[in-house]
Amino acid sequence: MNNKSPLLLVGIGGAGSAMARGVSRAFGESMRYVLADTDAATGRPGTPFVLLGGDRLSGHGSGGDVVQARLAAEDSLKSFDEHLEGVRLAVVLAALGGGTGGGATLEVVKHFDKCGVPTIVFATLPFSFEGDERQRRARGMMSMIDEASSAAVFVHLDNLIGDADKMDDAMRRAVDTLASGVTLFWRLLEKPGYIRLDAERVRKIVAHAGRGRFAVVTAQGPSRAPEAVDALARSPLLAAGAGPVRSILCGVLAGEDLRLSEVGCIAEGVRDAFGRRAAFDLATVNDEATFTGRIAVVVLLFEAGAEGEPDEEGKSSSAPKRGKRPKNPLAQGPQGRGRFNNVEPTVWNGEDLDTPTFIRRNISLDL
Amino acid sequence: MTNIYAALELGTTRTVLAVGEARTGERLKVTRHAEIPSSGIRKSQILDIRQATLSIKSVLREIERRQGEAGDSITIGNAFLVVSGQHVKADPYQGTTPVEGTKVSNDDIDEVVRSSRLMALPKDREILDIVDQVYGLDSLGGIASPKGLSGRILKLDTLQIHADANRINDAKTAAGEAHLEIRDPLFAVTCAADAVLDDAERRDGVLVLDLGGGSTGCAVYADGYLAAANVIGVGGDHVSNDIAYAFQTTQAQAEALKKTEASAILGSDHGASARVQVPGSSPLIETRTISRRALDTVVNLRLKELVSVIRGGLEDRDLLHRLHAGVVLTGGGAAMRGVDALIQRELGLPVRIGRPVNVDGLSDAENPASFAAVAGALMFAHRNYERKPLISSIFKGLFK
Repeated sequence: MNNKSPLLLVGIGGAGSAMARGVSRAFGESMRYVLADTDAATGRPGTPFVLLGGDRLSGHGSGGDVVQARLAAEDSLKSFDEHLEGVRLAVVLAALGGGTGGGATLEVVKHFDKCGVPTIVFATLPFSFEGDERQRRARGMMSMIDEASSAAVFVHLDNLIGDADKMDDAMRRAVDTLASGVTLFWRLLEKPGYIRLDAERVRKIVAHAGRGRFAVVTAQGPSRAPEAVDALARSPLLAAGAGPVRSILCGVLAGEDLRLSEVGCIAEGVRDAFGRRAAFDLATVNDEATFTGRIAVVVLLFEAGAEGEPDEEGKSSSAPKRGKRPKNPLAQGPQGRGRFNNVEPTVWNGEDLDTPTFIRRNISLDL
Repeated sequence: MTNIYAALELGTTRTVLAVGEARTGERLKVTRHAEIPSSGIRKSQILDIRQATLSIKSVLREIERRQGEAGDSITIGNAFLVVSGQHVKADPYQGTTPVEGTKVSNDDIDEVVRSSRLMALPKDREILDIVDQVYGLDSLGGIASPKGLSGRILKLDTLQIHADANRINDAKTAAGEAHLEIRDPLFAVTCAADAVLDDAERRDGVLVLDLGGGSTGCAVYADGYLAAANVIGVGGDHVSNDIAYAFQTTQAQAEALKKTEASAILGSDHGASARVQVPGSSPLIETRTISRRALDTVVNLRLKELVSVIRGGLEDRDLLHRLHAGVVLTGGGAAMRGVDALIQRELGLPVRIGRPVNVDGLSDAENPASFAAVAGALMFAHRNYERKPLISSIFKGLFK
């Protein structure tokens, strides 16, 4: 493991840890990561692991109790400190709907924020067939994680299973799909490229980024670039959110055969599809061993904030947070959050209810 | 002996203070009440302690002025705090205990009540209230009084209402700066329910909606107890914000349009071409007109959405079909034109405006429903602190 990397991957809860393990396996030995769970069985010999609330829960898990999971995480926050040395950005993977994935993630993210480490949370939301209770529990945690993290991407498991039919297949495919997406995102950050994306640049991009959407597509053949753009435009994972997209992070992973015209096609296509007025960041990675003859395009869309906004002190070192945005609190933001810019958002079914309803419903008013 | 209590609501749009008086065992009367526009608060969160303190000082002065006019000379030193905002949560928790003998005794009941008070909360949460719902005995549920029943495991379902301790501390700090000591923090919507509901409504099933400026509190009563509660972080301020954004007005203009012109219902009484005047916000800006239909559309969309969120929450908990007594509206938002008709239409339930009928003294208030929460807080104070030895120490600060 590369303990000097400024990037740390954190898997929380059973499913979050499984995803992180998947990313680690795909990426290789050099990845810096840590797993955390209230269930001792999640830990493996030789794997960096934090048992949450060992004294409180005796390693038996939270039993789906979000409050117990939060308390367990609070008990064990100090254990993360040894993993945070030199870390400039943490990517957190979790599944909401159970106890630990939601409850512990919130406390861990808050702790990282206190330690000056911004976080991007990738969290799954339960399958629709999992029942109202899990959906409600997940919804309850979303807004709090939204508020505590620098950026958060919530993905409905329903959107990750493709045409899987069997229950087991669906679960595995969902976890694998998100893990492979995050692996590609990780490659963007860690591998060299013509247009480099490193931890510092991402740190600035995700500062105040807010709710995000995330998708990865791959394509090959002579028309791979337009095909990738077309697949992104149709991806349910990037379907319209609560407000207009304010920043776009687009990464292209390819071998040495990547042509300049293809990069241009992807950049223009993505901007056309998701908003020309949004701040746009492009990165390319040259990964000959993995991508000979094909390309992968990673897209992250954010609905709040913009690149490089400084924090209150004008420093870039402290973890930025939406609640600390140096804006006139009475100014109407471009999304119309207006007087609600600096307060905890109200999120329901993935929509930011502070944004005027008529805007979110695209109702044109005959003034 | 006359007991005197005060209750403070530090709301997003209004700061409200009320004083209630009652002799021991008698019905409470609200003797003074005042409200002033709030500053430094958004969505029930204090963003500027200094501004919030000024709001509290202003409302204290207003109460004292009114008391002076009436010939009283009471200085208010402490008050119960009415708390709202989406940081308030209500979680179910079950206490359990084995029955010592073959039948449930008073000791067993005491023990299960004790065990129901053991829910652990994160450090940043503060309990506002623990509401006992129903007892269960083995597989039997819905028991109102378990004493004397046979069984092995006694259970008590409770609703644990808790809030962000930091938000409460902020309110205490602001009040402290205004030389007002905060007594117990109380949950706004259940306070409002206490003031406006009768026992029959609680038994038949009723939804109380406390329509505040920054949030909407929801409390469902069924079979005589509080079955569920929550707070949605959307309130009247969102309506004003939507209007301000749609018509490029100031917040004050939007607030005035909401109160005097807008309707939650898209009616035909004004015709499609009707226009509404928006006075200029300064002498240099001319008065202009906007479409009334567009104004009503903005308000209607926002409130319909709020009702759909409320409906979703009721359906998730399987409570919608239990509301035989309908919906009762309290809070400043209850005065919004057409809001009762809209909710009636969207939920398919009868709706009434909740006047605080369980206290006296608010009949002269312009919008009595907006004082329901503070009235309920005064009732709580009267119910829980009269005749108790603590009374002299707790309330001596009321008289400086």
